[in-house]
Amino acid sequence: MARVELIGADQAPLLARPFYAGGDPGVIAAAMAQVPELMEVALPFVGRTLGPTAVDARTKELVILHVSALLGCRYCVAAHTVVAIDTGLDRDEVRALRCEAPLVDVFADERERAVLAWAAAVAATGPVGDDVAAAVRRWCTDAEVVELTLLVTATMLLNRFCTALDLPSAPDTLARLAREGFAAGGSPP
Amino acid sequence: MTAVVDAVAAGAIGDRVWLYSNYHCNLACTYCLTESAPGVARRELGAERLLRAAEQAAGLGFGALGVTGGEPFLLAYLPETLARMADVLPVVALTNATYFSDERLERLSAFAGRPVSLQISLDAAEPDRNDLFRGPESFRRVVEAVPRIVARGIRVRIATTEPAALEPGAMERLCALHRELGVPDEDHVVRPVVRRGRASTNHLGVPVGMAELPPELTITAEGAFWSPFAATVHGRRLDTDLLVTRTTDPLRIPAEAMIRLSEGRPAGDDATLNIR
Ligand code: SF4
Repeated sequence: MARVELIGADQAPLLARPFYAGGDPGVIAAAMAQVPELMEVALPFVGRTLGPTAVDARTKELVILHVSALLGCRYCVAAHTVVAIDTGLDRDEVRALRCEAPLVDVFADERERAVLAWAAAVAATGPVGDDVAAAVRRWCTDAEVVELTLLVTATMLLNRFCTALDLPSAPDTLARLAREGFAAGGSPP
Repeated sequence: MTAVVDAVAAGAIGDRVWLYSNYHCNLACTYCLTESAPGVARRELGAERLLRAAEQAAGLGFGALGVTGGEPFLLAYLPETLARMADVLPVVALTNATYFSDERLERLSAFAGRPVSLQISLDAAEPDRNDLFRGPESFRRVVEAVPRIVARGIRVRIATTEPAALEPGAMERLCALHRELGVPDEDHVVRPVVRRGRASTNHLGVPVGMAELPPELTITAEGAFWSPFAATVHGRRLDTDLLVTRTTDPLRIPAEAMIRLSEGRPAGDDATLNIR
């Protein structure tokens, strides 16, 4: 049970209506619709940032799923476990990203290790270390570093939004997780 | 020219900003859009916010203010606040006029020389028919109050809400009554019941949406709405289907959103339904 009313299509505010045009927009949109003038900028921002961009889909899912697990977001871990599997990540990779196994045992690629270290450092509190920054800049262009940083912060926005409001996972997501042999997830490591 | 002045001139949005001063009421009419009654959540804007909104409305280029509720005159500070608002822009305040004791009438003297008018609800020339929808003694109190308000030099508009088709001759009798009370024909408005709030529960009136309601920026304690007929309450819950923004201060933010929304608005029946 979410902690705020999730707005249905019949009560969708005027600025929120376009997000309901294609049917059920999902619980994040239904919560954001409480404040339509913020929804109309926040939702396209996270949609664009997490959706297809210059950074490849696999790299993005590494970041989104791992940051969500680090922040203990039950909703995002559940949703992005499914997305990660659909993107082609294997079971061991998904488990490691969910903080259920050491990353170093699974990810051998230097670039992916650097990206994951950067994501973890951005998602933590305090300054981001020079060594982590140097490693990611060895493998990524400035544009990619900026994009990855936006991706981490947009993911964190969603993580805290979904966790604070206790947004419920979709039944089909939970059913899929059960079929794939994953727990709903969300406890911080 | 500001964006608001341009939009008003183009007919994209209305010239008047409506303010919901509160949602509670001494009556509990059968067709009330806001489910108002004595014990409901007050959702009060407050005197300071009413004044600030008036000043912001004038600064943006709006030309008039409307104050509605609930019953605004349940708020002790209202007469003085309306008078101060009227120093900024002309104000019409909606009231059921069933609550004007001698002392309360005396406080309306604050309106002297200022552009404040009162829009008073009266649905029928017969007490029984009027009070059927509005509650016992409403008719008597209104016909007592109206001439006393008019005598103070305050312009009164009579608003008739038609819950059902009137029987032959009913409107003529009502018009004779308002003239007798000192209200000329040009200050009598007749509009249908809008099927929202308690009218929806009671299956009264005409269903309306964005297309049927003229866009008139409406400010409440919980957000800005498309029309004064939009900020309704159903099942004790504030409707959000015609919510524009939660931000109301500065008024520029909902005003700009209204203008943007009015540009994409489909053609509707607002002119024919006369919902004003
Ligand atoms: S219609 Fe007006 S007078 Fe009647 S209950 Fe509602 S606010 Fe009060």
